[in-house]
Amino acid sequence: MFCVRIDDVIRHNERVATIKFERKIPSFPGQFLMVNVFGYEEIPLSLSSPNSVTVKAVGETTEALVNSKPKDLIGLRGPFGRPFTPSDKALIVAGGIGIAPLKFLHDYLIDRGAEVLVVFGARTAKDLIWVDEFENAIFATDDGSEGFRGNVVELVKSIDLSKFERIYCCGPKPMLRGLFELFKAKNVLDKAEFSLENYMRCGIGLCGSCVLENGARVCVEGPVFRGIELPKEF
Amino acid sequence: MSASLEVELAGLKLRNPLMLASGILGSKVSSLNRIARHAGAVVTKSVGLNAREGYKNPCVVNWRCGILNAVGLASPSAEDFAKELSKFEKNCVLVVSLYGSKPEDFEKLPEHFPMADAFELNLSCPHAEKLGLEIGRDPDLVKEIIRAVKSKTDKPVFAKLSFHMNIVEIGKVCEEAKADGVVAINTVKGMAIDIVSRRPILSNVSGGVSGEAIKPIALKCVWDLFEEISIPIIGCGGITSWKDVVEFVLAGATAVQIGSALFYSGHIFKSIEESLKSYLRIYGENISDLIGQAHKV
Repeated sequence: MFCVRIDDVIRHNERVATIKFERKIPSFPGQFLMVNVFGYEEIPLSLSSPNSVTVKAVGETTEALVNSKPKDLIGLRGPFGRPFTPSDKALIVAGGIGIAPLKFLHDYLIDRGAEVLVVFGARTAKDLIWVDEFENAIFATDDGSEGFRGNVVELVKSIDLSKFERIYCCGPKPMLRGLFELFKAKNVLDKAEFSLENYMRCGIGLCGSCVLENGARVCVEGPVFRGIELPKEF
Repeated sequence: MSASLEVELAGLKLRNPLMLASGILGSKVSSLNRIARHAGAVVTKSVGLNAREGYKNPCVVNWRCGILNAVGLASPSAEDFAKELSKFEKNCVLVVSLYGSKPEDFEKLPEHFPMADAFELNLSCPHAEKLGLEIGRDPDLVKEIIRAVKSKTDKPVFAKLSFHMNIVEIGKVCEEAKADGVVAINTVKGMAIDIVSRRPILSNVSGGVSGEAIKPIALKCVWDLFEEISIPIIGCGGITSWKDVVEFVLAGATAVQIGSALFYSGHIFKSIEESLKSYLRIYGENISDLIGQAHKV
């Protein structure tokens, strides 16, 4: 474990904040850190840029992190896990806080001259973050307060997937399962990459807390899996 | 030419002497099944009668020479764990690791696990109150626990011991109580402090050190036990390469357990197995010919 100081905390809405570190972590989009919030717990979080994590307050530890202040120290281990593989024509599909690793990927791909379409869904317009920072994006909200009214999977159904070299997905389990079924039916699972999350203790492939039905470890063989590598239930 | 890796351990046939150590990837049957493709045996995470939550994160951290952990015996109840293990695909020997605080707890555990080929008694976890090491240091209690478990099962029973006890004395007690083997050693007590935040890193402050740092310590324990007892010894502690395996076998281990080294590679069982075969081919020997050979004058 090593310590970094927090440089800035950017509040996106009531529950979501980006925690910027004073220095960059050499990493690739899709990788995660084990973040030790002193006095609370150590939790796995995807990098949302080389020097930040973006987190939603859902429990004690994430709440404390969202409320942290510049100059606070946090402990880090990592980066760990297998990242996304880059492509020139990319479709990014995000649900809710699942946008965090995909924002990193988006910026990484744009820097390298890739064509990127972002499909981003959330409950309401307030839950959509970074809306002005994507080059080419369409949105979906459950309540129709922004963009398409309905869920991301429905919106993706209306898109011609054949023109994309890769499809990158991260979001809540029901969304990922919906996309998995859709891609299977459209026979594009081999070019889809899913970033999964799971309860983790060690983050380094030893404790077994995050193992999937097929024996793969989310922290080492993942968190990014190709569609064809995923077990039927994930 | 021979070069067989097969070993017989207390009547069990192992395709090779490589066992998955308890506590590593041992709480889900899917990972046990994956390791079982190349291991001689897998040992599950220790299980007791009731579920235990364990300690908060950080509870497992890597450092320069291995791993430091204080998971705190987090595990489901015996009943729930048995359901999970019922899906074990039997590609290798299955050893279920048991923990408890008294003989009456231990003896109720084996009946839950009809799928087990053998049991390992955790008498050595260094970071759980009134469990593990705290009972393993008491020779009378060790004797009672082994006898209690043996009275409830015909399957082999191994006792996992610690560096933090008079290991030879406890090893002899295990032999007297008719244990079928001993496992040496569990993790060694240790800790780490972050020098910037100036706090202990593990939530439990201290924990157990595993990995390469403890290999010479474990090897010496196996050596000493082999001089004094005649039941099989399973070596454990820092085994990372095929050369380590050979060392432990030469010191007297019939089989070895590998855990922390999975940090370096998820395919370590396969790669060590292949390397051991090459080593044995050079000498035209079987691995079982090597057991304890370094003791010969």
